[in-house]
Amino acid sequence: MVEKAADATARATPTSVAHRVRGLSDRAIAWLFIAPTITLLLAINIFPLIWAIYLSFTNYRANRPNAPVQNVGLSNYERVLTDPDIWQAMQATAHFVFWTILLQTVIGFTLAYLIDRKFRGHAFWTTLILIPMMLSPAVVGNFWRFLYEPQIGLFAYAVSLVTGIPTADIQMLGNVSLAPWAIIIVDTWMWTPYVMLICLAGLRSIPDYIYEAAEVDRASAWRQFWSITVPMALPFIMLAVLFRGIENFKMFDMVTLLTGGGPGSITEVASITLKRAAFESWATGRASAFAIVLFVAVFGLANIYVKALNKVKQR
Amino acid sequence: MADVVLKNLSKRFGDTQALADLDLSIRDGEFVVLLGPTGAGKTTTLRLIAGLERPDGGRIEIGGRNVAGEAPADRDVAFVFQQYSLYPHMTVYDNLAFPLRAPVRKLANDEVDRRVREIARMVRIDHKLENRSTRLSGGEMQRVAIGRALVRRPAIYLMDEPLSSLDAKLRAELRLELKRIQKELGSTLLYVTHDQVEAMTMADRIGIVAEGRLLQVGTPREIYGDPASLHVAARLGQPHINLLPTDLLPGANPPPGTKTIGARTEHLDIVLDQNANAQIDWIEHLGDQNHLHIRVRDHKLVTLADPYFAIRPGDRISLTLRDPLYFDASGQRLG
Repeated sequence: MVEKAADATARATPTSVAHRVRGLSDRAIAWLFIAPTITLLLAINIFPLIWAIYLSFTNYRANRPNAPVQNVGLSNYERVLTDPDIWQAMQATAHFVFWTILLQTVIGFTLAYLIDRKFRGHAFWTTLILIPMMLSPAVVGNFWRFLYEPQIGLFAYAVSLVTGIPTADIQMLGNVSLAPWAIIIVDTWMWTPYVMLICLAGLRSIPDYIYEAAEVDRASAWRQFWSITVPMALPFIMLAVLFRGIENFKMFDMVTLLTGGGPGSITEVASITLKRAAFESWATGRASAFAIVLFVAVFGLANIYVKALNKVKQR
Repeated sequence: MADVVLKNLSKRFGDTQALADLDLSIRDGEFVVLLGPTGAGKTTTLRLIAGLERPDGGRIEIGGRNVAGEAPADRDVAFVFQQYSLYPHMTVYDNLAFPLRAPVRKLANDEVDRRVREIARMVRIDHKLENRSTRLSGGEMQRVAIGRALVRRPAIYLMDEPLSSLDAKLRAELRLELKRIQKELGSTLLYVTHDQVEAMTMADRIGIVAEGRLLQVGTPREIYGDPASLHVAARLGQPHINLLPTDLLPGANPPPGTKTIGARTEHLDIVLDQNANAQIDWIEHLGDQNHLHIRVRDHKLVTLADPYFAIRPGDRISLTLRDPLYFDASGQRLG
């Protein structure tokens, strides 16, 4: 009886894929299609992550593959969390992330607000503003190293022209108090357009009639800005901050090219410290522990942030 | 509240003449409805009065003062948009309070609170004051939008098809409520719609608009019973007015120059008669009434009949005109 019913069902649905590919159910075919992706993902994402977690509990060194591997328990984590160099690196990262986000959000939103007015030639200016974002970080890093050059660099020349400080004193990359700002300036130059684009999408999503209603309701431009523009664009702004935050937390390429972490270790952000521990000291186990700590920190912060973002979006 | 007078108002968008020399005066406390098809210039008229568009020519007087050059905020008008133009990140309460919190008003907080609650009761949304405005049904959103206009006491309320996006039942309900509230407050109201039922039921006076021109202004009775032109006659009445040649049916007494006779249900007498001039083609049963589709020679007519009127498709009837409307070749009314 049951078989008969199943047969009837099969006959009633002649278009089923199962009938055309003999011996395979729709579900099996679906798995077949996503299997390559899943295999790749497992091989290059999930497995290394699990392997790194394992290594973080050992004294494994990648340059001595034949040395005996011992389980050292939590001592790698202990060293990472008490290492003053690592705390220094975390502070450098926090400084970098905080200021780049602040500057990029403020400037990016302001640019978006101005571009949104649709003045003459706004499309041309939008394209022009977007150019830095399209360059490769390696190119940008090299580029700005020359711009920052005290003797021949345009940056030093321009600053000297405006302030009258001799160019030899404008050691953007060599001075301990200027170098952190040098990398912040370059990152801001490069990524403000990105924040601007997202903010622009936010501003364009606000329908005109809301502003018209506010205008008839006698809301001043100032009040419209704070009670309509900002709250309605806020989810977009927060999204831009999230993207930039995650990106800059793992900043490596541009800083390596600009300062290499120097002078001293003042611009040594976490990822550079990590790279040094892993591929210069070859302390693979300890570096893995550091990587896991970073991962948990970023993941945790991002999660809290996304919860806040969802709350804002649901208002 | 104040009189609002429009004189020679004109507005062009690119190649389209949205409004051409529109004259209209709205008396204090009057409910005026502009009725016309999409693109007739109704919304443009409202936006010009509100100051959301600048006129190309003409005067807009509110309380005797020409406001054509003033910003929307200075004109003392309230606007209800066709879309639910609520501030989405605010509660219902904050939406209603928004216009009252304009710094120029300098209203005390408890006065704002009193007015918000009073209006919320009036538009029957007082049970949802703390809800986010995005968590409301369409009908509730539009009540809030109407309420947000009503919390103010402007010179004139401007409403742009506020009920058009609601379902039929809700529309009928809000129609009644809006009329009740307008009477209660004695407010001056200019209301735009393409729905003849809204126009007929709410308006003190109706203005028929087409292609940027105001064709006729009058009470609903005048517009319906005494239309100035074919176009106006065709705007009102359900089913649509039947337009017939002069010699088709008996009973007419057309004045010289008549080109077309307009006949609505009340202009047609039906008598069952085997030797008659007409035949029933089809009957649509609407429950409370029937639509009769009638053929007279090669012309088709639609009229209403009582559901108890014993008649079937194929029956022959004798159809006679009784005081129909006469129009000349240019569509102007005669007689």
